[in-house]
Amino acid sequence: MGAEPQFVDAPTGVADAEPLLSIRDLVTEFKTPDGIVHAVDGVSYEVFPGETLGVVGESGSGKSVTVMSVLRLIPQPPGRIANGQILLDGTDLLQLSDADMRKVRGKDVAMIFQDPMTSLNPVLSVGDQLAEAILVHNDIGEDAARKRVVELLELVGVPNADQRFDQYPHEYSGGMRQRAMIAMAMANQPKILIADEPTTALDVTIQAQVLEVLQRAKQETNAGVILITHDLGVIAEMADRVVVMYGGRVVETGTVDEIFHSPKHPYTLGLLSSLPRPDVDMERLVPIPGQPPSLINLPSGCSFHPRCHLGEGRQTCRTEIPPLFELGPMRASACHFHEEMEDEIHRVESTTGTAIEGDEA
Amino acid sequence: MTAVSTPGGMQPVPEDQLHVRAQIGEEILRVDGLTKHFPLRGGVFNRQYGAVRAVDGVSLTINAGETVSLVGESGCGKSTTGRCIVRLLDPTAGHVYFKGHDLAQMSHRQMRQMRREIQIVFQDPYASLNPRINVNEIIAEPMRIYGRYKDGGKERVKELMRIVGLNPEHGNRFPHEFSGGQRQRIGIARALALNPQLLILDEPVSALDVSIQAQVINLLEDLQNEFGLAYLFIAHDLSVVRHLSDRVAVMYLGHVVEFGTKHEIFENPTHPYTQALLSAVPLTDPRMRGKRERIVLEGDVPSPSNPPSGCRFRTRCWKAEDICATEVPELIDRFGHGHPSACHFAEPKAVIRG
Repeated sequence: MGAEPQFVDAPTGVADAEPLLSIRDLVTEFKTPDGIVHAVDGVSYEVFPGETLGVVGESGSGKSVTVMSVLRLIPQPPGRIANGQILLDGTDLLQLSDADMRKVRGKDVAMIFQDPMTSLNPVLSVGDQLAEAILVHNDIGEDAARKRVVELLELVGVPNADQRFDQYPHEYSGGMRQRAMIAMAMANQPKILIADEPTTALDVTIQAQVLEVLQRAKQETNAGVILITHDLGVIAEMADRVVVMYGGRVVETGTVDEIFHSPKHPYTLGLLSSLPRPDVDMERLVPIPGQPPSLINLPSGCSFHPRCHLGEGRQTCRTEIPPLFELGPMRASACHFHEEMEDEIHRVESTTGTAIEGDEA
Repeated sequence: MTAVSTPGGMQPVPEDQLHVRAQIGEEILRVDGLTKHFPLRGGVFNRQYGAVRAVDGVSLTINAGETVSLVGESGCGKSTTGRCIVRLLDPTAGHVYFKGHDLAQMSHRQMRQMRREIQIVFQDPYASLNPRINVNEIIAEPMRIYGRYKDGGKERVKELMRIVGLNPEHGNRFPHEFSGGQRQRIGIARALALNPQLLILDEPVSALDVSIQAQVINLLEDLQNEFGLAYLFIAHDLSVVRHLSDRVAVMYLGHVVEFGTKHEIFENPTHPYTQALLSAVPLTDPRMRGKRERIVLEGDVPSPSNPPSGCRFRTRCWKAEDICATEVPELIDRFGHGHPSACHFAEPKAVIRG
């Protein structure tokens, strides 16, 4: 195990491969009595086959609304996808008819939700729901569908799959339900598998089981996985590349190693220095001061500037919205002063008493 | 007041000393064999046919100025233990000695006097604050109940708001006007109002985003240093537990399975469940990926209404042998590992970094 390469790179060949899914300049808004909520404000990112793309951000950063827009599951009204393209193999999902979109959901793009208790139908047996997912997209008989479902349940580690087929969601434990959800998402060999906080409701020992199953599902289908979570530990364990979101915008992208060991945006650094570690004693956490921004009234310029130590209220930060500066292939930061991040990292390290940059060897 | 001498513990302090702050390091709370069973009833005559054995013989001690954490997964009884200590739930059996006085035996009137010294902060900052009274009143309420508001109560509320990092000018606002992190600060200010010696913190940061969580963690550390508070910190997040605790008790299905200093539990765990728990925590370091052994437990936690015989962890344990089904392992240091562990085959194993 010790001989493995230290760097966790994106899967080889990703840089020159064609993206499976490409989100471009997506804008999603919600009309509320208090004003328009700019939940997603010009988000672009890409997903390549066989990779796990981690999307991190705190509540209200727009990470879930982005993928709900991909599936066109935004309730309209009050929601509205105001701008952008969502290209799946070159087809813009936003231009499809409702009927064609239904053929994409659960077939080309499948989703695993956070709470399996509310996303499974309580009055249908688990097996029937999985069979339905198969029968909607495939012209096979019910017997064949049942056989396939039992296979899938076995694959995700549901014991006695044949008997479990006829049980109802309440007869499954939380971990088992989430396995069933993963089985359903895998059923049609999707190209894109979206997992929205798949383990947030689970205990840590069950989380470890479910993440293992998710990994297996990815290998089995060679899908591109979008893993949305607020848990940086899960990202560090699972993701190849990471997108960091704040206030409805992408603020940083990079490989998982770059994000965790040389962050180029002060918000990313703030997340890392806020996080106690299970393996190392930290002297003192360095939180991000203040509150997340209101999405109705985003701060001017860089929306992170009121909470930013690096910016120190500099004019540029207050007036100019930073573009995503390209720092390399698949590496970008939306900070005017990303070049000053090294000093900022050292400042934080001296308070936490732990290294962020770490040893590369 | 009931003065029962505590086995192995300190003699009850004289009553006039009860409300005097204990010296740092002095034992102030001793929980001994605490048990809470919730009856299961049903049938025509609503007879009891069983019990959920939520907490089953929990023992631990807390010293002034230190943080003891209770950690475990959902349903292990950690919150019920916290609630039994302040008698929000009445324990089925066992003792809770505060400075040698048994809280479990006290009348409600006596207990009320003791709650000045032991306050609780709840997990959900939305449900634990009365939405219809403003923040000034929320923080003043404990002082009014104990007749302390008249002299200088108003000033004290302002001082408390400053201490927890809220703007005292916002005192006439209502809970819904605050964010989750600020509400948790309000809950902490209320708990501090009577200048208690022990705080029970029941998952106080679990509902908060990570940047806000760090703010509240730092606040808890500062308050402890400033006022010499003792904390019983109840949590499922092992990273937060490591950061805040001096000593850690790991719970599984109503039992404490291992109890030791933070360093002993995290670097040298001896109970298989502790080891499995620690090996399952994701590390925030991608370079460690695949480099450590992961102990993946089979199956789910059994029902606490029908727990396994003998060791309760045996149904998921890779070390289980015949003795585990017949004999309940005691929480003792049986092989000289330096801290007690409730496993017949306890053995130190560093798992966190593989």
